[in-house]
Amino acid sequence: MSAVSGSSSVRLPDFARTTTFRSTLVIAGAFVLCTVALFGFVYWQTAAYMTSSFDALITGELHIFAAEPPERWLPHINDRLDNDPRRVRIAGLFGADGHRIAGNLESLPGGLTPDVPADAVVVRVDNQGRETVKVRLATERLPDGEILAIGRNNDEIAGIANIVRRALTLGLLPAFGLAVVIGLVLSLRARRRLSEVNRRIQRIVTGDLRERLPTRGGNDPFDQLAVSVNRMLGEIEALIHEIAGVGNDIAHDLRTPLTRVRARLERGRSRAATLDELRTVVDQSIAGLDQSLAVVTALLRIAEIEHGRRLEGFSQVQLAPLLREVGDLYEPIAEDKRVTLQVEIADEATVHGDRDLLFEAVANLVDNAVKFTPEGGRVTVALLRNDGESVIQVKDTGPGIPEAEREAVVRRFYRSDKSRNTEGLGLGLSLVAAIVKLHGFRFTIGTGPGCTTEIAFPSR
Amino acid sequence: MPRLLLIEDDKETADEIAAELGDRGFDVSWAADGIEGLAKARSGGADVMVIDRLLPGMDGLTIIETLRGEGNRTPVLVLSALGAVDERVRGLRSGGDDYLTKPFAAVELVARIEALLRRPTESPDTVLRVGPLELDLIKRTAKRGERTIELLPREFRLLEYMMRRKDQMLTRAMLLEEVWNYKFVPQTNLVDVHMGRLRHKVDEPNELPMITNVRGVGFILRAPA
Repeated sequence: MSAVSGSSSVRLPDFARTTTFRSTLVIAGAFVLCTVALFGFVYWQTAAYMTSSFDALITGELHIFAAEPPERWLPHINDRLDNDPRRVRIAGLFGADGHRIAGNLESLPGGLTPDVPADAVVVRVDNQGRETVKVRLATERLPDGEILAIGRNNDEIAGIANIVRRALTLGLLPAFGLAVVIGLVLSLRARRRLSEVNRRIQRIVTGDLRERLPTRGGNDPFDQLAVSVNRMLGEIEALIHEIAGVGNDIAHDLRTPLTRVRARLERGRSRAATLDELRTVVDQSIAGLDQSLAVVTALLRIAEIEHGRRLEGFSQVQLAPLLREVGDLYEPIAEDKRVTLQVEIADEATVHGDRDLLFEAVANLVDNAVKFTPEGGRVTVALLRNDGESVIQVKDTGPGIPEAEREAVVRRFYRSDKSRNTEGLGLGLSLVAAIVKLHGFRFTIGTGPGCTTEIAFPSR
Repeated sequence: MPRLLLIEDDKETADEIAAELGDRGFDVSWAADGIEGLAKARSGGADVMVIDRLLPGMDGLTIIETLRGEGNRTPVLVLSALGAVDERVRGLRSGGDDYLTKPFAAVELVARIEALLRRPTESPDTVLRVGPLELDLIKRTAKRGERTIELLPREFRLLEYMMRRKDQMLTRAMLLEEVWNYKFVPQTNLVDVHMGRLRHKVDEPNELPMITNVRGVGFILRAPA
């Protein structure tokens, strides 16, 4: 049987697995390393400084000795050793064969280069006995073959090392402990906050869209994040409500014609006496179904445009011919209604866009304008230049759209009360808005008299 | 009797279409999935094909691409529940000759299939003639018998389209797509108004009517009987 390895090892307590706690450990570790390095540097510098001053001292003394006449040597050595209450001085005079003549150095250590101070371990002898000591020692061969050794106890350097080590231990352990404790506290706090956020997110996931993440009104990144998320949630909530609203609208707009169809068929089935009468009923029913299907189609088109990334279908579109074509298409209808339809081109603009969709957008605006303009009125389709922008403007002498309703007419399904008795699905302007948005242009419904709709885009 | 191959996976839809087309004098053979459909199409014999866009076994567009790659030029009408404009463009680009979105009126389907069967005469003639009607494509003039008809450019375009497809049922959607390059059916009765103008000019009160409005379906241009 193959064992599943790995994760079954000792599990750390929960808090130890939080990110905050881990970063705390890392930071505390880095802090320890830095401190150790700093203390090490201080020690090294101090030791180097002391060693070099010892060296200066002993070489200086060597030179003084060497300069003195030989008969002064012994008294000098004794003087030197007598005046040493701290017992740090070492001095010795050795014969050419290496036997001790004077001084407190038992024997001459080997391996020393004359006149170069070096570390050595020697045996010191005096009236207080024998003792092995660490010293800094320099030797010099005197003119008649004797060897002079001058040294100094360098135990102090080891002492400093000890002090540094003790200071390090005393200072570092509490600091490290403190860092870990602070880390723990912080990680627990973050954890509490996160689990609160998590709890609320779970509530949102299960459908409570009014829930929001907690904020402390501060300005830390976590708060900023929570504020952004809350804004996003607000947006989503609004969208969901809108979708629900659209759903209701769809249901209503579909149910009305379908109910009518149903009633008609039912009545036709029981009342129609002749085949022709039945045919009439069926024709009416088909027309009703077509109306419902048209609603669905229009909605799908809007959804397609709103969610579409049709940019790959974009090309350079010349607007002047496009407007003329729309005018051409609608002129007879306007004429039938005794409405003057005029196309005015004051700008030869070209845009990057989808010709079919732009045509549809302008056609929808003109369609609406012609539809809502009473007999004898006028509809003007113009291509203008205005403040560095090109503008497609459709203007009519109809009733216009009240300011309060302008926002609403761009929404799906909305139809202004006055137009309820005119055919049309109320989707035209939402379609235009979707197309304009896809192109990154600007769609505005302006003030009267009449209605002015504009599609504006930066001119090139 | 024109033979038609229908590749459509929904049996009820297929039955409806087959019954309707059978009534109109088509000999319909049906395949319910892409593989079978491709095999039937390869064995030849169909004058026109109606292929659903989404099929089990093999996608409708793949069938068309395969057939076209093999040199099969049988006209194809693509049928689809996908109404998106991009889908339409893809359908036509892969070799389909026309594209119809579900749901559709039976007459629309029949009109389009008949249009595919009778491809317009792209004759090199610069003068088109239907009965007494004469259209000079160079001089941009129209005459009915001795009477000169004054046409606006858009009316000229419409009449030219209809004369190239005389005796054919032309639906509103077909006219909008082909004459005005307008892919989406608008709410207003645009085509009727334009056609009304043209009829008014082509058929004077004392003349036999050439343009017929078939209620709820579309328009036909015929030489007067």
